[in-house]
Amino acid sequence: MAKTFKALSALLSYPDEALKAAAEDLRAAVRQEGLVSGASCAALDPLLADLEGEDLISLQERYVDLFDRTRSLSLHLFEHVHGESRDRGQAMIDLATLYETHGLVVDATELPDYLPLFLEFLSTRPLGEACELLGQTAHILAAISDRLAKRQSPYAAVFDALVVLSAIKPDREQVAALLDQPDAAPDDFAALDAAWEDEPVTFGPGADSGCKDNLIARLRAARRPTPTAMPE
Amino acid sequence: MSHFIDRLTFFRRVEGEFADGHGVTTNEDRRWEDGYRKRWQHDKIVRSTHGANCTGSCSWKIYVKGGIVTWETQQTDYPRTRPELPNHEPRGCSRGASYSWYLYSGNRVKHPLVRAHLVRLWREARKSKKPVAAWASIVEDAAKRKSYTTKRGLGGFVRASWDEVTEIIAAANAYTAKTYGPDRVTGFSPIPAMSMVSYAAGARYLSLLGGVCMSFYDWYCDLPPASPMTWGEQTDVPESADWYNSSFIILWGSNVPQTRTPDAHFYTEARYRGAKSVVICPDYSEASKFADLWLSVKQGTDSALAMAMGHVILKEFHVDRQVPYFVDYIRRYSDMPMLVRLVAKDGYLIPERFVRASDFAGALGETNNPDWKPVAFDEASGDVVVPRGSVGFRWGEKGKWNLEEKESTGNEATLQLSLAGGELVDIGFPYFGNVEHDHFTGTDHPSVLTRKVPTRRMRLKDGEAVVATVYDLFLANYGVDRGFGGEHLPRSYDEVAPYSPAWAEAITGVKRDQIVAVAREFARNAEKTGGRSMIIIGAAMNHWYHMDMNYRGVINMLVMCGCVGQSGGGWSHYVGQEKLRPQTGWLPLAFGLDWSRPPRQQNSTSFFYAHSDQWRYESLDVSEILSPTAPEGSWSGSLIDYNVRAERMGWLPSAPQLETNPLTIAAAAEAKGQDAKDYVAEGLKSGALKLSCNDPDAPQNWPRNLFVWRSNLLGSSGKGHEYFLKHLLGTSHGVLGKDLGEDGRQKSEEVVWHDEAPQGKLDLLVTLDFRMSTTCVYSDIVLPTATWYEKNDLNTSDMHPFIHPLTAAVDPVWEARSDWEIYKAIARKFSEIAPEVLGVEKDVVMTPILHDTPAEIAQAFEVEDWARGDVDPIPGKTMPQVTVVERDYPNLYKRFTSLGPLMAKIGNGGKGIAWNTEDEVDLLKRLNGVVTDDGPTQGLARIDSDVDATEVILSLAPETNGEVAVKAWEALSSATGRDHAHLALPKEDEKIRFRDVVAQPRKIISSPTWSGLESEKVCYNAGYTNVHELIPWRTLTGRQQLYQDHMWMRAFGEGFCVYRPPIDTKTVKPVIDREPNGNKPVVLNFITPHQKWGIHSTYTDNLLMLTLSRGGPIVWISEADAAKGGIVDNDWIEAFNANGALVARAVVSQRVKEGMCMMYHAQEKIANVPGSEQTGQRGGIHNSVTRTVLKPTHMIGGYVHQSYGFNYYGTVGSNRDEFVIVRKVAKVDWLDEPVEQSSTSDGASNLEAAE
Repeated sequence: MAKTFKALSALLSYPDEALKAAAEDLRAAVRQEGLVSGASCAALDPLLADLEGEDLISLQERYVDLFDRTRSLSLHLFEHVHGESRDRGQAMIDLATLYETHGLVVDATELPDYLPLFLEFLSTRPLGEACELLGQTAHILAAISDRLAKRQSPYAAVFDALVVLSAIKPDREQVAALLDQPDAAPDDFAALDAAWEDEPVTFGPGADSGCKDNLIARLRAARRPTPTAMPE
Repeated sequence: MSHFIDRLTFFRRVEGEFADGHGVTTNEDRRWEDGYRKRWQHDKIVRSTHGANCTGSCSWKIYVKGGIVTWETQQTDYPRTRPELPNHEPRGCSRGASYSWYLYSGNRVKHPLVRAHLVRLWREARKSKKPVAAWASIVEDAAKRKSYTTKRGLGGFVRASWDEVTEIIAAANAYTAKTYGPDRVTGFSPIPAMSMVSYAAGARYLSLLGGVCMSFYDWYCDLPPASPMTWGEQTDVPESADWYNSSFIILWGSNVPQTRTPDAHFYTEARYRGAKSVVICPDYSEASKFADLWLSVKQGTDSALAMAMGHVILKEFHVDRQVPYFVDYIRRYSDMPMLVRLVAKDGYLIPERFVRASDFAGALGETNNPDWKPVAFDEASGDVVVPRGSVGFRWGEKGKWNLEEKESTGNEATLQLSLAGGELVDIGFPYFGNVEHDHFTGTDHPSVLTRKVPTRRMRLKDGEAVVATVYDLFLANYGVDRGFGGEHLPRSYDEVAPYSPAWAEAITGVKRDQIVAVAREFARNAEKTGGRSMIIIGAAMNHWYHMDMNYRGVINMLVMCGCVGQSGGGWSHYVGQEKLRPQTGWLPLAFGLDWSRPPRQQNSTSFFYAHSDQWRYESLDVSEILSPTAPEGSWSGSLIDYNVRAERMGWLPSAPQLETNPLTIAAAAEAKGQDAKDYVAEGLKSGALKLSCNDPDAPQNWPRNLFVWRSNLLGSSGKGHEYFLKHLLGTSHGVLGKDLGEDGRQKSEEVVWHDEAPQGKLDLLVTLDFRMSTTCVYSDIVLPTATWYEKNDLNTSDMHPFIHPLTAAVDPVWEARSDWEIYKAIARKFSEIAPEVLGVEKDVVMTPILHDTPAEIAQAFEVEDWARGDVDPIPGKTMPQVTVVERDYPNLYKRFTSLGPLMAKIGNGGKGIAWNTEDEVDLLKRLNGVVTDDGPTQGLARIDSDVDATEVILSLAPETNGEVAVKAWEALSSATGRDHAHLALPKEDEKIRFRDVVAQPRKIISSPTWSGLESEKVCYNAGYTNVHELIPWRTLTGRQQLYQDHMWMRAFGEGFCVYRPPIDTKTVKPVIDREPNGNKPVVLNFITPHQKWGIHSTYTDNLLMLTLSRGGPIVWISEADAAKGGIVDNDWIEAFNANGALVARAVVSQRVKEGMCMMYHAQEKIANVPGSEQTGQRGGIHNSVTRTVLKPTHMIGGYVHQSYGFNYYGTVGSNRDEFVIVRKVAKVDWLDEPVEQSSTSDGASNLEAAE
């Protein structure tokens, strides 16, 4: 039952007056538990300082631009896993079922895969289990962190802290796959062209891994055996 | 030893291969199958549909599990058709099937959003001020106002509570109504048929407020003005099942397999049944592959092709040999026998107006509306007779408005088609095929072609007149040689003279023998089958400036061959109208007719032309389109001058209407002891009151508030996109050209010119959407609305006869609400805060002279303009009608949520038919319950939920309530003097309710609102009841009108159909050398057809669909043009002209005709669009390079079928005459640095792309 998860959940929530007021408590909670190493913990300071010092509307504007309006930074985990695939619905149901088996039902106008919501759930679980579950999302967290860092956003620190917390370290290949989105290299025309180039579709064994088009790969992946995404 | 004991009796071992090695037995893990099992496990299946703007109107099963939508499949439970006719299903397409991801997509609008700069000002002001005062303090301070209006499109939203955003909106509306007038609050929403309650929600709020609802059909340029011109009907078409009854189908500019996917099977099935099909379109489209013969016509020259086919049909089936069926048909069902007066001009005669009963001494015995009764000769007696059925019989008398072959007196009359044998005279016909154009071939025939026509002299009360029949003039116009003689009359099909097949070959590029073959087969089929030849016509034909010529050319062919109103025949225009079948039930709900009449309704094209200041850049001079045969008179002025004249003469609506706040006028009139009507008429004449249209750039005439819902106005339909951004929104834009002032070109005669054009006329732009569309990105407030799986609503189409619902499969996700609930919340908030400045007010409403009302017979002969002193301003006759309407602002919410008293008091009706509706009001009280709260609405039927609203529609409409249908047919019977009620009597007890259509789509009941029948014998076909029940068309002559005699029609040379080449928009030359980048420019015609991966049932930011193409905006070009510009497939290219610029990838294809490029319309600039080298802005949309150009003939009003009706008649936003410069981009810039740091910081927009 780690408060750190709850604190990080709060940091990723839409800023409001209550969050501003609680910034100091959040800092204390993370420090006190010591789950996040000193450096990573200190890295949270700019965001906390912003929350305390910046004007609320500016904070909200930044949040909306980043998380509501930028698809590659979506806080909905399955946006990055299932995207437009039909399996997204089923995945959400599985996740909601997981919450329910632990006696929790979603009581906000949010989807089950909303990261702050997921983190709050983890805060109610024993530490080992929580870190284990968090680990399954590590590659997404690492990818978002990378993108935020590129934007020099203080929010990157929250994702770094989450990566530190997770029991499983992000799989480099998976992170690379996520980062291989049009988000990258805006001035690298060759890369851009390559990213958008249509590629002949090949069928049969090996087609999936060889396919550069990530969306198609994801669509195909969705038709393969359902990965046991979350433990029952 | 026997093996018996070892042998298996009941089993077989599972091993190895089977089925000749095609099957193999393994022991692998089969848990993967659970994925499929889970897919088919669901808690419920809900019926809904996809309502972007898809005429498909397909019913879908939505699977819901654990409160989450998991996927959708097609419904397959439509009621069956008759034996021998294929069933409707399967309906649905890949666009619809990809919809469910939208619900949870990252692009979904999840919370109410408001521009941070605005909300900061608002919260500050609200600390010390009441809401309306707070709003005033923001918009009256120029610096404060500018601080957020200039940021539109540049990101910077924050979430806000519903309470706060509705308060801002309500305060803005109340402030605007109080300060400038409620007619400065406007709203745009298209295609109500797709989700009629959602449309009605906003329209009801606006109408109760006195705000303005804006039209869409004309603005989209999907309204074919040729339809109201010919039939007095907006658009009425056969359902797709009727294609199956046809045996010769021409697809003309229509791409059925691509854009009408769920209906395409009827087309294939018709072909299996033996129908022949010809496809006419410039490119090798998907439809071309279905053709028995594909005619690749030069884009924009379709009317030349139609004229030549008409020429062949007339020559072979009406002159060389007369087909009895055709002759009988045109005699009874067209204006061909009617007499036209001929007047002198430059040494020859020109056709003038129809001769009317009132032209004769004693008016031929007609006392009721003799000005409106055209005449003809009776074949037997040779006497002039007044045939029944013309509009004069429709109003003021009963029983003679029908198409029986009788004259007014009741005597039988066979009308005479030709005056052959009479005196031959030279008649001048205008010819436009010689107009020079850089990119279109013409011929050098003279501008006036004189041809001999048989005439007769007759004595009218004003002296002797020369008259001819429409029939004789019509044949002469087509250049059919009847031995009478004339100039440039082709003696054979091979002579290049108007309008021979050889002439058409020169212009259209289609071989003459193919033209002859198609025309001949089309007519021969109609002859043998009694009119079963059909033309399915696409938007491609209607988006040209001279679209009426394209359409009338085609309609003429159909009428010549007796195809209109016959099963399997006729004109099938399936473009954007999407028939709202229970229309008369919906109108009161949508426009608040239960509380106040009339509502304010505006034609959007003229509105946006004026208010996005596109008129300031007008490059088309009236002299370029005026006919050489124009009647004497002044035809000076610019296009907006014609629009202003039309507005003041009561032809077109205005918004805003007067410079003075209409809430103050009634009191001013009262103070002077005058009726408001007289006060306004007098004020206009004296100049004390001024119309807003004379000065659209003056701040008191700006439209201040704009609602957009169910629409992507800025990203999709906004012709002249960059002008919208510059002038209406006041934000960064990409307009490249100069306005008339900067250029010192001719300015307007009627409209005030401001050297400094306003930038940012809107105080507030509010958009309701479920996805962050281009329009949302530019809005001040974005409201998250329910998707099509999250609300209850109704859906109908012109493609099939069923009504079916949208149903809430799940509650709206995040903070979204249905449109109905959103407008209800705004109405509630408005009522709360209104008392700060508004109470019960008297609103003076001005409306144009409306079609299908007794007022439509307003201006019979000359065009008389009161502002020029031709006549006095008389409301409803020579100027707009003036009505005082009471607004109860503090009770607006209560009115919104109850059915007002006017339904029981005045009744209901539509299209000129009225009936009593007390029974239905009573039924609704019992069905929905009554309001129990104290107040002015106590005891009235409730309209609280969206389901209540659907019941109002269903109960009041004849199409869904058999009892009403019988009443409606009876009402029509009294006008025609014929019994029509038999068409609905068998269904009198049928009442369709919301829960019925949730259970299964229901077939509508036949109603006089429409011209087709839905029965066990025939498919729905337009014009069917006109032909078979002898109900007149709602035109001047009561027949299908092929000659348009209004003075402005003649002035612009379109009395008869002619060929007119595209106009020169002059947008290329001013910018062709701008910002060279080393790559070679190619000038191409810019064509914007309907695409494969987006509309109509989903949007172009749907990644699943984008994945099927190039992932972002594309422009198709031919191989030849690509080579000229050094472009290879998938290159980034820029297309630009004086209107703006856009960036897209090139698709180089053999499919495309040289000289044109195609950009599928409504591609979003929010997905994968880099910056433009020309503007420094993000790419642009297809409408960045367009600008709307008005046509005076579409402004005509006060003249029966050419009278205004909302979405019925008016100016249309054509865009295909445009040319662009296409050039390969040298450097792709994604503009994804923040605005401040960007090198192109001069307003570079910060829209997210490539995410």
